[in-house]
Amino acid sequence: METARTLCLWCPDWPVVAARRRGDAPDDAPIAVLERSRVFACSAEARAQDVVIGMRRREAETLSPGITVLEVDPSGDTRMFEPVARAVEDLAPRLTLERPGMLSFPTRGPSRYFGGDEKLVERIIEVACVAGVPDARAGIADGIFAARLAARRGVIVAPGETSQFLAPWPVGTLGDEELGSLLCRLGLRTLGEFAALPAPSVLARFGSHGLGMHRLSRGEDEHPPSLTVPPPDLVETCELDPPAERVDEAAFAAKVLADRLLGRLEAMGLACTHVVVEAETEHGEHLARGWRHEGALTAAMLAERVRWQLDGWLTDGLRDRATARGGLTGGLTLLRLVPEQVIPATGRQLGFWGGDAAGADRCARVLARVQGIIGPENVVTAVPQGGRTPGERVRWVPWGEPREPLRPIEAVAGPVHSEVPSWPGAVPGPPPARVFDPPVPATLLDATGAEVSVSGRGEVSAPPVLLRSGVLVRGGGEITGWAGPWAHDVRWWDRRTRSRCTYWQVAVGETACLVKVKQGQAAIEAIYD
Amino acid sequence: MASSSPTDPVPGGAVIPLRDPEARARLYEVARVGAPLLLAKDRLLPVPGPLGALVPELRRGMVVTVTGAPGGGATTLAFGLVAAASVAGEWAGALCPDHTLGALAAAAAGVDLTRFAVVRDVPLDRWAVVAAALLDAITVVLVEVPRGVRAADARRLVSRARERGAVLVTLGEWPAAAALRIHAEGGEWNGFRMGDGILTSRNLSVRVEGSGAPLHGLVSLAS
Repeated sequence: METARTLCLWCPDWPVVAARRRGDAPDDAPIAVLERSRVFACSAEARAQDVVIGMRRREAETLSPGITVLEVDPSGDTRMFEPVARAVEDLAPRLTLERPGMLSFPTRGPSRYFGGDEKLVERIIEVACVAGVPDARAGIADGIFAARLAARRGVIVAPGETSQFLAPWPVGTLGDEELGSLLCRLGLRTLGEFAALPAPSVLARFGSHGLGMHRLSRGEDEHPPSLTVPPPDLVETCELDPPAERVDEAAFAAKVLADRLLGRLEAMGLACTHVVVEAETEHGEHLARGWRHEGALTAAMLAERVRWQLDGWLTDGLRDRATARGGLTGGLTLLRLVPEQVIPATGRQLGFWGGDAAGADRCARVLARVQGIIGPENVVTAVPQGGRTPGERVRWVPWGEPREPLRPIEAVAGPVHSEVPSWPGAVPGPPPARVFDPPVPATLLDATGAEVSVSGRGEVSAPPVLLRSGVLVRGGGEITGWAGPWAHDVRWWDRRTRSRCTYWQVAVGETACLVKVKQGQAAIEAIYD
Repeated sequence: MASSSPTDPVPGGAVIPLRDPEARARLYEVARVGAPLLLAKDRLLPVPGPLGALVPELRRGMVVTVTGAPGGGATTLAFGLVAAASVAGEWAGALCPDHTLGALAAAAAGVDLTRFAVVRDVPLDRWAVVAAALLDAITVVLVEVPRGVRAADARRLVSRARERGAVLVTLGEWPAAAALRIHAEGGEWNGFRMGDGILTSRNLSVRVEGSGAPLHGLVSLAS
């Protein structure tokens, strides 16, 4: 079985385009969309000012002072992309979303129907243009990886010439930074040079992942096709009664479904790279959309994609029932996940000291149940991260989402040089056991009864003598010890988000607390309980 | 049953004389079925850190209450108890309606944050349901007792903990029975005076009421 001819449609800078459509960002100004404080996508205006993807937020703001900075919103991007996907689906039903802004489908049927690859590409671009994306690009090649690169150039690669087409591209296009930089250091700068290595040697040196990358660079599918036919009984279905009209209701069911599907696949030693999300509504409509990921999908990633898709269907359709075209007119009654492509799981190494796998499973089930009772965002685990105050130094991550800090504690390897962040003014000493968010109002008074203030140069008006607040025993009282102040001048380079405040460690009797003074207003941020 | 010795130990620990092999086989079978599934030492969770000197271990299925004035050190003591689950490599959870628990303090007390789930913003009418659900699978559950919890709900949680072999640690006034009552009585903070130094450590005075006489002790908490 040879690699399937694939068409890839790419809408450049989709997160930026979607943000402009939503009205979140100005039309002709530089925009950067961030993911975890790094530039994820940027507009042409920003690119003209040397902003590149992977840059830190601070660097982008330095290069382009007036830049509008937004957080990435994949579910919103999917929602905006849905009309395009629907329009293309009319021509090519076996469509798969790679990510919001990029879709692909096998061209065999459509190409024959429309009279050749050129005509098909013209037709697809026209359809995308009508759906509101004038600058979409499409390309056809053998296999999705080559098709994606062809779409970047907007070319059609003749059948069998994919490996020649791929040869001059740099190895960085494989999307694996670690392997890419290693290959560069070994003197293999292009895909052609990498592809020229014998496969057994690649497997011996770089393992099965490296072999997959090698297959890509030769213009083949990453995984051998003979292994990718899913067993027929892996479809997971769940009926929703009452019908789900809100995204979070349906998404919660989807999460359970995703867990179940991946659990069963895992038991068979399989992982899933391509899944079709199907839904039925109370009016009998049937929708299906495929999602693909280069690596294997994890339960959280799968649930995330299902959520984006449901967001696209539900929000679009239900907002305007009369004019909804291809969207949903009623609540969802059935949700189905069909694995389209499965690969042998490379396996997961269990912790050396064992660990009670059954106990962890039981725990995961119970936490999911609690999420069902009080909402998914209220079951959290803590991730330590960089920051100055006790509140900043912890990120609470909802259960089931990836546990990653927003601000690194240590330097991370990235495409752009990164420095170890330092947190000047971080409050030392033992971490407090009670952290209030938002802080509890308090008054910090000096001996004359005036509120203690700190000047712009960090000078204290008078030593504090009295602290009063509702959270303290008997409403507070005379201060028996204090330390500080630690002055914070946060984001001093940005007038809008700049914040200046001071922190004090204050003991009233046997109660020690962390007091924040901002613009003359004292508040208790934490208690050392 | 070819045995060279005249007697053979039975799994229960008793020694029975060698008689006819058939009777022995039946006896072994009875002893195997009747043996406790969980040995007593498996039911104990050692408490790490300085608190371990006062409360050496937690028994699965028990209820421990921790009380103290705000700032008196009750939360830190409760974290010390929760750390017992992390030491055993098992999960811990906290039910904190107002979401003020300091995760870094928990980590400093020995709690493994990757196996510590916190449930926040729980309305009062769902509080007992959520607590009971957590006790189903989580080894040590820390619950903050909100005002207005019914004694019947509390009693139900006590029996749920016993049934599931989970440890329930309550923070605040607990309107039901408890095997161990720990009271944080506060203590002076060291390391700073009026305007210099930083907060470093504290000697916390703790009273433990269990089955025997109340136990007093100092727990030193350093950064």
